[in-house]
Amino acid sequence: MDLCNNRIEPSNGRREMLKSLSYGFGWLAFSGLEGARSFASSMLDDPLAPKRPHHTAKAKRVIFLYMSGAPSHVDTFDYKPELAKRDGQAYRGNAKLLASPWKFNRHGESGLPISELFPGVAKHADDLCLLHGMKAGIPAHAQAQMQLHTGSFQFVRPSMGSWALYGLGTSNQNLPGYITVNPGGAANQYGSGFLPATYQGTPVRLSGGGGRGGGGQQSRRGRNNQSQDPIDHLESERNGTAVQKEQLALLRRLERERSRRGNGDPAVETVLEQYELAFRMQTEVPDVVNLGTEDRKTLEMYGIGEEGTDGFGRQCLLARRFAEEGVRFIEVSAGGWDTHRNMRTELANRCGAVDKPIAGLLADLKRRNMLDDTLVVWGGEFGRTPYAQGSDGRDHNAGGFTMWMAGGGVKGGYEYGSTDETGHKAVEGVMDIHDWHATLLHSLGLNHERLTFNHAGRDYRLTDVHGHVHSDIFA
Amino acid sequence: MLNQVPRMLHAPQGGPMIFSLLVISTLTGISLAQDAGMMSDDSMMAGESMMAEEPSFSRKDLDFFESKIRPLLLGRCVNCHSNDGSRINAGLRVDTRMQLLIGGDSGPAIIPGDPDASLLIQAVRYDDPGLEMPPRGRLTRDEIKLLEDWVSMGAPMPAPREKVENPGTEHRWTTQEIEQGRNHWAYVPVVPPKPPAISDPSWPRENLDRYVLADLDAQGLTPVGDAEPNHWLRRVTFDLTGLPPTPAELAKFDSDDSPRARQIVVDGLLATNAFGERWGRHWLDVARYAESSGKENNVAYPHAWRYRDWVINSFNEDLPYDRFLTSQLAGDLLSAKDDDEEARNLIATGYLALGTKSHNVQGNAQFQFDLIDEQIDTITQGMLATTVACARCHDHKFDPIPQRDYYALAGIFASTETRFGTFEGPGNRNAGQLIEIPAGANLPDGSIFPSAARSLIIAARDRAENQLAAAEEIRAEMRSAGIRNPRTARDLLTPAQQQILQRARNAEGSRNIADSILNRFDSTGRPTIDNFVCMGAVEGKIRNVPFLERGELENPGNAIPRGFVQVLNSDWTTDVPQSESGRLELADWIANEKNPLTSRVWANRIWAHLFGKGIVTSCDNFGLSGQSPSNPALLDHLAARLVELDWSSKSLIREIVLSRSYALASDWDRRRAAVDPDETSIWRMPKRRLEAESIRDAMLVAGGLLEIEPPTGSAASGLEGAVRENVLDRFLGLTAAEYADHRSVYLPVVRGGVPEALAVFDFPEPNFVRGTRDKTNVATQALYLMNSAEITRMADAMANRVLAREEDPKSQVELAFRIAFGRTPSAGEFIACRDFLREFRSAWTSDQQERMASLTPTQRRQQARRENASRRNRNDASATALSDADLMAFSALCQTLFQSAEFRTLD
Repeated sequence: MDLCNNRIEPSNGRREMLKSLSYGFGWLAFSGLEGARSFASSMLDDPLAPKRPHHTAKAKRVIFLYMSGAPSHVDTFDYKPELAKRDGQAYRGNAKLLASPWKFNRHGESGLPISELFPGVAKHADDLCLLHGMKAGIPAHAQAQMQLHTGSFQFVRPSMGSWALYGLGTSNQNLPGYITVNPGGAANQYGSGFLPATYQGTPVRLSGGGGRGGGGQQSRRGRNNQSQDPIDHLESERNGTAVQKEQLALLRRLERERSRRGNGDPAVETVLEQYELAFRMQTEVPDVVNLGTEDRKTLEMYGIGEEGTDGFGRQCLLARRFAEEGVRFIEVSAGGWDTHRNMRTELANRCGAVDKPIAGLLADLKRRNMLDDTLVVWGGEFGRTPYAQGSDGRDHNAGGFTMWMAGGGVKGGYEYGSTDETGHKAVEGVMDIHDWHATLLHSLGLNHERLTFNHAGRDYRLTDVHGHVHSDIFA
Repeated sequence: MLNQVPRMLHAPQGGPMIFSLLVISTLTGISLAQDAGMMSDDSMMAGESMMAEEPSFSRKDLDFFESKIRPLLLGRCVNCHSNDGSRINAGLRVDTRMQLLIGGDSGPAIIPGDPDASLLIQAVRYDDPGLEMPPRGRLTRDEIKLLEDWVSMGAPMPAPREKVENPGTEHRWTTQEIEQGRNHWAYVPVVPPKPPAISDPSWPRENLDRYVLADLDAQGLTPVGDAEPNHWLRRVTFDLTGLPPTPAELAKFDSDDSPRARQIVVDGLLATNAFGERWGRHWLDVARYAESSGKENNVAYPHAWRYRDWVINSFNEDLPYDRFLTSQLAGDLLSAKDDDEEARNLIATGYLALGTKSHNVQGNAQFQFDLIDEQIDTITQGMLATTVACARCHDHKFDPIPQRDYYALAGIFASTETRFGTFEGPGNRNAGQLIEIPAGANLPDGSIFPSAARSLIIAARDRAENQLAAAEEIRAEMRSAGIRNPRTARDLLTPAQQQILQRARNAEGSRNIADSILNRFDSTGRPTIDNFVCMGAVEGKIRNVPFLERGELENPGNAIPRGFVQVLNSDWTTDVPQSESGRLELADWIANEKNPLTSRVWANRIWAHLFGKGIVTSCDNFGLSGQSPSNPALLDHLAARLVELDWSSKSLIREIVLSRSYALASDWDRRRAAVDPDETSIWRMPKRRLEAESIRDAMLVAGGLLEIEPPTGSAASGLEGAVRENVLDRFLGLTAAEYADHRSVYLPVVRGGVPEALAVFDFPEPNFVRGTRDKTNVATQALYLMNSAEITRMADAMANRVLAREEDPKSQVELAFRIAFGRTPSAGEFIACRDFLREFRSAWTSDQQERMASLTPTQRRQQARRENASRRNRNDASATALSDADLMAFSALCQTLFQSAEFRTLD
């Protein structure tokens, strides 16, 4: 792929000018003709402005490292000595237990057992809070992925990132407050459901990402845009800022007329905010996504430039840069974890591709003093069975699995909850997806029972009528 | 290894889990409890304790429950009274008989044998003003009677499945369970439902309206009112053709007050070629149509476009849907009256050949089984909304489909030779043949090969020839030295010689690929008879395949006789003959009015395309993990109608778009939304975003750029071999111009290289069956519409067109609105546009000054060069005209109209 030869560099002068002109949402909202505000902003006072949380909390933002396809917990973070002893034994009928082919070692002062598949992450053992009692609803990918992201697998509901953004707003109006890098699966996973569209995730594509399932759809880009920039069309060859501003003003007036006709239909008041965001993104995104400003040591830390880790390394570094710039919720996806077969090779490959980048991210956040107020979350939509599928694979298991958190006020070097002795079912500290959502919101200072949105006469929550905060995991 | 792990344990705090599947499953009598991780311990115990007391009921009584009561409970009670995600009101769950006997906060819900004493019955009778169930919309008298009868009978209800023997992995569906599984709503025969009683007999226009209104009546809802005529016209024109109505069509409809006006419009639209282009594309989503293999090596399928054209033509000719399916499954086995028909039948089987494949996988058997799996997955999801491929490695986890059924189907495709073409070579260990099209067929030869690429191909061939010759020289030398196998003699070769032999290994494949292209196109680039081929399937060596334990080739069991999916089998199922693959029988089994799924699935897909979502929202999954129909009677009415109409898709579509329901306004209403927030009932037409193709096509139309004549072939049909991204871009760079302004359905769909204009608006990943598309609205789309040169090009064209036609500003803005939105602007809108045009010039000037000020002298020169180049790329008329500030202003106005929500939304 061409790196930069054909690319017309956006001129710095213009970008500087845009920066000096724009003061985020407020500027746009008030700078229109007649000082008109957009429909959405009149409906909700400045929907993206930073808001006070319900309670004081350490975490200001979330980076969710989403392992699409369900990684095996018993081969990575859930050490099961009993499983090793009972390798090959019959299990509940004709299934056969399968010991992990990988060794677990104790790491850090806390002595957390982590498998040799994650040597890099293991160095941060004292920062990890392992949630061994995770439990999902359905061992089928599509439904479980939807539930993980929205709480519901039946109806279209807002995603957790949208709820977080709705609850807290964002401090940088020139970037989306919720970004999802290389999403796989259905778009509803980062959709805003019945929340205003301004809260939905903005997908960002980075090539060389986590492979199928995590890579999402790749499109053939316009021939003028052959770069590794994850966002295309950040500059027009035709219209400058002043013209675009006029266009936005016109659009705003047209949309206002339309909203008036629409009787408050939630489906109507949507596109304007996306244009305002897009307009603002033009000023800042080119800088944020330009990894070229990072020094070599940092790039190496993330495994960028190395075969195997380059793709996910770039995604993780991008996540840090977005976090630094004030993005509230960042999701980064890596696919390929559905190891029904060839697990010894496949799982090792997948772990190899993400271990160094994740370790790099944790180290980088730490040295910038950002780990304290950034909640890093790792995990898939469910786990895998302790018994074998074939001779070299594991089947889906929603009954018990491990996710982990780091930073953002959670206890480090800590194991919370457990599965039974083989790792099949969560038995202690059981955390279902609603609990997990409630706990995640709690870490951001949001009370999941108070974070509601009235849609068609009913107050909805991310956790519906469920969910308990597991406050023991917080320091 | 660690022996002991320090643990810090904490009391469990798990909240209640959602087990919707469980609800569905217990209500259908198929407990899914034993599937790993499916069930909480609570529910497991409830199930077990219930087992002890469960009386046994007669088959007849259970049938009564299945056919009459279960749909009622599912439709009217489950939402608020089950483990289902929404809620468990008053502690009452209706998932099992035991739960009903225990009841909720107010005590037992039923007293078997005593309807009058049963709370459930009192509640549905609305006897007690404090206890009226369901709260929104009383049951009909018949429905209440059914519940009373049921309680009188002792409330027969099937027990959840017997205690779990094997909660591990390998549950096997028993014959009894499969038998019971036939009671699932989607597997029971389609019986045309009785037209229901309705509140307003004057409302329906078509019979289907009665079912819509009856549902609204039951919810206590009323329709919002009819859409404005121009909204209806825009809606139906986009829905049937994917294109906007022209200003002339709008004017004509506006002036025609006759009662037949709508029929005339609809019949006219159904008769256009654009109809097939629109509805054919819907099927191509389901058929995961693409022009390359995807996966690691992405091998080109340069003949796939013939299947695309066949699908489009089939819709235009209204090929009956049963015949449409049969042709795709077994067209090669159908008799044909002439070469033309035979050719079409053969091309239809391309459906089986154009799925994703790992061409480089080692081992032909593995490749074959993966190919078969992809075929089974595509067919069963696409035609039956059933995920049979889940049963490759184990029995299906949710639906009563044993693994055995999978291998029965697999045998049919193992006895089929799939002809997908491609050559062995680098990145491809599994090549295949193609099918020659009968010479007398009246079909195009194919696309023109770009002359600029021809010399590259010749050079590639010569290079490969040279490499092969050099290698042959070395081998000849070795032979003369008495060495037969060069590998044993590596030490005797110089590194250079080894490299030559190494290169030659790939050279043969490269030469074959180059030769194929040079044979398919003559020296002027025109297609030759070698291009008169298609992808597809023919009969192969007839065999049954072994049951593969855990789906593994290393674990073959007994051969499984070819056959179908048992839970769907019935008296109409025919056996597979010994000497044939069974594809024809499979086709007959699927494309059969007695198959309970086929007509339901297609009617539901049609409905989903016209109403934004299906009656069953999970269009590709009618199984137990899918959704239940929001209006079962409506679905069955449509399914039965489809068969009555001799499977004519056009006729069914015609009935739907002429219905009162389809003509509903799209006005949102707070009061109705409060009752039905998820809009499961049809009280309005939802506002729908256009699909990617329509957004692009509508901009082409607005600019007067659209070439309505279909192109011949595809921009990608000159490709061969592995398609790397740079190859694709370069090649399409040579052919794109020729194809650019045809309808979007004709853009090349190479896997991993979907054209940006489509990908940005949620074009489905062409690797899987995709009956529903995402409809996102994200900032990256806004950036595309703001800054892409392609958008500016179309806006320029529209501006040129409008300014050439109208003189005064008012008429210009009016025409622009008619073109973009199918209506005239309001006074406020006109003023907004006028203000914009007035302000434009100073904004433009200020931008130019800013831009020039920020450039270095070199950049300024580059800028000038770029502007000249882009001017050259446009046609001459616009190039000169574009210097005109008025035109620039109007183009920016048109672009803003493209950007508006209204442009991409159907009211």
